Amino acid sequence: MLTLSNIHRSFPGVRALAGVTFEVRAGEIHALVGENGAGKSTLTKIAAGVHQPEAGHIAFDGAPVVWTSPGHAKARGLHVIYQEFVLFPHLSVAENIFIGHERHTRLGTIDRGRTRAEARDVLTRLGVDLDPRSLVRDLSVADQQMVEIAKALVHNVRVLFLDEPTAVISGHEVELLFERLRALRAQGVAIVYISHRLEEIFALCDRVTVLKDGQHVLTAPVAEISRERIVSAMVGRDLAELFPPRPASLRADRPVVLEARNVTLPGRVHDASLTLRAGTITGLAGMIGSGRTELAMAIFGGLKMSAGTLTIDGRTIAHPTPAALIALGVGLVSEDRKGQGLAMLLDVAANISAPALARFSRAGLLDRARERAAAEAEIAAFRIACRGAATSVAVMSGGNQQKVLLARWARICRRVLILDEPTRGVDVGAKVEIYRIMRALAAEGVAVLMISSELPEIVGLSDHVVVMREGHVAGTLEGAAITEEAVIALATSHAPGGVERAA
Amino acid sequence: MSAAAIRTPVQRLLQGGTPIYLFLVVLIVVAGVAAPAFLSAGNVSNMLQQLAPLGIVVIGQTFVILLGGLDLSVASVMATAAVAATSFSGRDRDVPAIIGVTLAIGVLVGLANGLLVAKRRVSPFLATLAVMVVLQGLRFTWTHGAPSGNVPGLLRALGSQTWHGLPYALMLMLVLGAGAAVLLHRATFGRRVYLVGGGPVMARLVGIDTDRITIAVYVISAVMAAIAGLVLSGYVGIVDNFVGRGFELDSIVAAVIGGVALSGGRGTIGGALAGAAVLIAIFNAVLLFGLPVQAQIIIKGVVIVAAAAFYVKRH
Repeated sequence: MLTLSNIHRSFPGVRALAGVTFEVRAGEIHALVGENGAGKSTLTKIAAGVHQPEAGHIAFDGAPVVWTSPGHAKARGLHVIYQEFVLFPHLSVAENIFIGHERHTRLGTIDRGRTRAEARDVLTRLGVDLDPRSLVRDLSVADQQMVEIAKALVHNVRVLFLDEPTAVISGHEVELLFERLRALRAQGVAIVYISHRLEEIFALCDRVTVLKDGQHVLTAPVAEISRERIVSAMVGRDLAELFPPRPASLRADRPVVLEARNVTLPGRVHDASLTLRAGTITGLAGMIGSGRTELAMAIFGGLKMSAGTLTIDGRTIAHPTPAALIALGVGLVSEDRKGQGLAMLLDVAANISAPALARFSRAGLLDRARERAAAEAEIAAFRIACRGAATSVAVMSGGNQQKVLLARWARICRRVLILDEPTRGVDVGAKVEIYRIMRALAAEGVAVLMISSELPEIVGLSDHVVVMREGHVAGTLEGAAITEEAVIALATSHAPGGVERAA
Repeated sequence: MSAAAIRTPVQRLLQGGTPIYLFLVVLIVVAGVAAPAFLSAGNVSNMLQQLAPLGIVVIGQTFVILLGGLDLSVASVMATAAVAATSFSGRDRDVPAIIGVTLAIGVLVGLANGLLVAKRRVSPFLATLAVMVVLQGLRFTWTHGAPSGNVPGLLRALGSQTWHGLPYALMLMLVLGAGAAVLLHRATFGRRVYLVGGGPVMARLVGIDTDRITIAVYVISAVMAAIAGLVLSGYVGIVDNFVGRGFELDSIVAAVIGGVALSGGRGTIGGALAGAAVLIAIFNAVLLFGLPVQAQIIIKGVVIVAAAAFYVKRH
């Protein structure tokens, strides 16, 4: 149905795709997997006409095509549902479904009756019970996703790309989505399913293609390949090599550094408790939207908790604020590196010194020479690739930006370091270094809290795992009990081991 | 490593505020050649005289814009300061009292703006607009609609006298500008302004009291406007309810053409002051070329668009 042959594409500073060939057939669900930065998004965007390939060919329905625009690909029946929904929250379901393809009356105004009736048809075909008149902002995330799919069905969809569709939904909703996708497959639609979750691939997909560092690694029928084979193809080496060894003696009696009790943020976190011990890495796992980030932010004072207590080194903090926690030796690296982490307009030195400006000040004036010298030392210590302390962080790679943030906190957070998705958008090499840095900090006695959506990371690095589900702490795991299956079980359902899974 | 990280000396020269300085020099040369009267001692002195009050307002406005805000109340503060200057006996011995009252007005207005923006999360546009209107109402009430009285001689001297052709007002602007530059580019406070302006959430997460920085910045802006109001009343000599009219927009325009980004976090005091000088030079040249005053307005609009397009392309 759709064939991409020998596709090349680079962006300034990155070679995103180097000769990738990928094909999806009518009536098949084809999984596209790979680490962050492997080239899945770029490949999707080239297939959809958002980017043009620098070399290579696209064939659609057996004939070569050159997409002149995303609209061109769409008109031929190629649709992409991105992770970030393109919905207008204040418009109705029906209006969203026909956005850009409004049904008009003869006077040129929008024909609301026809819009609603046709929207109802599409929703029925999809088997979703949604009122076309309800506003999108009132829908659950899972229903919003159905609206996205309905948008594609309005047109004659031949190829459907789904980018991490289950990142924001869970359990029962995942199963519903799978049913819809199987129905579409039966109608002959070619589906490309991008996901990190290997168990979903085995439950849903017919074939799998693995990309790594912009190159095609393998394509195989799902029935003929093992989970381990896929993982090692994605990572390019054994998992064991990725993670630094755990220290041999990790006793549960290590001193408690931080204790959060019954933290509540209305609608997002309910009665969650957490204990961090010196020298340990605690993994905070759970689905996106399960309240992990909010819990961490509440502990750090970035969000205000409506109930709960926070104790650090035995001292109760009545009103946590970032400034107060930093003074106690606590730091937080946000998942939103560009929005909440880095000062994108400033250089490396200013980014590293940001929470410790007082240290570089005398009589209100900044000692910039000392600030720069300190930054140069960190650049060497953390092996940050840049042209010195005056390099603008905006031009650096994700991995190096992340190391700048680690360098920012490593010297001043001697008690607790909270890391939210520390390896998101970072290449494998930088990942390994970040894992080492985390382990080294723990060895120095820092209590590390790592939020991660990547299960191998949670399993490979954590001494202790807290799993959240729908705002609650669903359970904790320790030692040999930390397995991907156990984490998924806690993250998705009440009964451990009772993962809802397709037959 | 991206090639963008490696800057040639030429590129480095074009970073920061340099283009506006080059533009200012070119503008002066071109205007001077086209109309020799432009560079006559009298005209230069006159332009510098006009530059001073605008420049002083621009200094304060730059702090606010660096935080991603803007201050529409500056002109109203200027007029209020001018009214205060004439509300005493008009003799020199009242000058300390006038300065005290004026600065107090500046601090109060700045606090009002800053508290509304920081604590009540009112958008800077609405907060400073509301404060501007309230202040105007208070001023009308106080003056019964028609201010009268005299500006003390000392203030008149500050606003209109020169020292061998160099206006005292300009010296004041340069001193304030130098102080602001140190505060912004050398002091810890300035770094915090850039951090908050570049990302308020990020700034809070590194422990910066963003509310305090916000309030301080609006106070700086209002105090600068109050000082500029005194200077301008000394220059004009008489007072009406609208001394400083148009300075809110002119000060924003000057900062923007001087390379201060309205989105916050980018720009320098020097660039903004050069932007103010460009505006004054253009206004003056328009008149020297015998164009109608209205042409000033049209050219101002063209310059804004040109500056906006230039900086969009650069960033």
